[in-house]
Amino acid sequence: MKTKKALLTTLLSVGLLASGASQAAGWCESGKEVKFAELNWESAMLLTDVLKVVLDKGYGCKVDSLPGNSITMENALSSNDIQIFAEEWVGRSEVWNKAAAAGKVVGVGAPIVGAIEGWYVPRYVIEGDAKRKLAAKAPDLKSIGDLAKYQALFKDAEEPGKGRFYNCPAGWTCELENSEMLKSYGLEDKYTNFRPGTGPALDAAILSSYKRGEPILAYYWSPTPLMGEVDMVRLEEKAGVNKTIDIKVGLSKAFHEQAPELVAVLEKVNLPIDLLNQNLARMTKDRIESPKLAKIFLKEHPEVWHQWVSADAAKKVDASL
Amino acid sequence: MFPESFTFSIANWVNGWVDSLVTNYGDVFRQISDTLLWAIVNLEGLLRMAPWWLMLAIVGGIAWHATRKVTSTVAIVGLLFLVGAVGLWDKLMQTLALMMVATIISVLIGIPLGILSARSNRLRSILMPLLDIMQTMPSFVYLIPVLMLFGLGKVPAIFATVIYAAPPLIRLTDLGIRQVDGEVMEAINAFGANRWQQLFGVQLPLALPSIMAGINQTTMMALSMVVIASMIGARGLGEDVLIGIQTLNVGRGLEAGLAIVILAVVIDRITQAYGRPRHEASK
Repeated sequence: MKTKKALLTTLLSVGLLASGASQAAGWCESGKEVKFAELNWESAMLLTDVLKVVLDKGYGCKVDSLPGNSITMENALSSNDIQIFAEEWVGRSEVWNKAAAAGKVVGVGAPIVGAIEGWYVPRYVIEGDAKRKLAAKAPDLKSIGDLAKYQALFKDAEEPGKGRFYNCPAGWTCELENSEMLKSYGLEDKYTNFRPGTGPALDAAILSSYKRGEPILAYYWSPTPLMGEVDMVRLEEKAGVNKTIDIKVGLSKAFHEQAPELVAVLEKVNLPIDLLNQNLARMTKDRIESPKLAKIFLKEHPEVWHQWVSADAAKKVDASL
Repeated sequence: MFPESFTFSIANWVNGWVDSLVTNYGDVFRQISDTLLWAIVNLEGLLRMAPWWLMLAIVGGIAWHATRKVTSTVAIVGLLFLVGAVGLWDKLMQTLALMMVATIISVLIGIPLGILSARSNRLRSILMPLLDIMQTMPSFVYLIPVLMLFGLGKVPAIFATVIYAAPPLIRLTDLGIRQVDGEVMEAINAFGANRWQQLFGVQLPLALPSIMAGINQTTMMALSMVVIASMIGARGLGEDVLIGIQTLNVGRGLEAGLAIVILAVVIDRITQAYGRPRHEASK
């Protein structure tokens, strides 16, 4: 009897320890929470909220999200403190690269296809704008190579002899790439490599210049609400350079191993880019909060997300809307 | 739940107001910004051009003049040397320039406001809540509109620093003058001193320890804003801290963080020594 009891406790404790590994119960059925990274840029906010509704209503998961900047969130993902990082721009952050190499995080699916990054200038700099009475100050500016002629146009007030190139915020991987590009295009002595400290600072700089009709040269990426709001032209790069970005859903290793039924859903998740841009614009223009917009989106476009989920889950989500 | 019928939002109104300010008056603000920038760029250029040993000698000289102690002077110079030794000298100078300009502006605004508020209870009752706002409002809330008006870089950084760092100086100047003994003031009045003589002959000298404590606090708070400043594109030690944080490079962040601490200690020791009455320092 005693030995039986001892055996039972051992079995139970082993079972508890290994309960993570038991596949039969599934992540959500065993009552574990799915924690999302509460990311702070719009497309990721919408994607996160859409996924939250789908997992919550469709698969009966307890969902939660933790706020933080992307680096802390990627770090939390690698230690399984959170499970899903809805919009991971693969290769853009050292933390992710290291964690992925070590197998602590896994990127799956392609939630957004068609993202692109590059060096942008407002369209009125090249073509002028009759409505706003802005002259075309750089009609021949087409590619990054042409920038050498226009350093006076993008003058840096802090170093008047040079132009200013607004790089990526300090510490992002794109910052290093852009710094390399400044060198390889021979623009290093003509432009200051200006690093805004944070994303919002870069946004504010671009928006402010745009509203005043002043020239600005900045790194940026799309899809973003800012790109929906301002009309910017992407400067051409050397032939053969591909600047499209691979976006995946970031998962912690534990979640990837133990929740295959949910991973299967996440692998199929995709928001068509035009639809996404439309909705991002609604977010900034009509000021609809992301959780609300997510529900509206799910209601308006069942054809998009019905493809991701099982018929049963689709019914449940539909019923909840 | 708070009843929905009572809720309202000023967000749209504020957004519209900032928008129109940027669109209509953006260029005017840029001109103000350029003037301020000229001063900072020149000061920074001067500090960065000066050879390191000269800077150390100057700081050593000031430290000796303030403290009159060999050990303190050597320690101060040694600590600064250490910052240079880990390769952060140039960034240290950039931070120092930013901080000096911010402190000078804080002093120019803070001391007169403090004096006025000591004289008028009405002004004080308006000023104090304002100072509370300045010290507690999360800086990014006002930084983004400031960014849009003044451009990215050093100027908004200085604005943010002044907003955050000037309040203690205003408070302590006010306090120092109010604490001047009433009987002393009566005696001065009996001698027929006018307001200026009262202020410069008696009140300010007696309030000096308190004012110096205020300047000390201002510089300390200015230094604590260095990282925030780097978030809006100001160069210097804060940039290294920021990169350290954003790439999880703890070591690099710590190095730059310690350099900020050292700069703070050096300035703290020097300003505190000046705040102490002379005879005490020579003891």
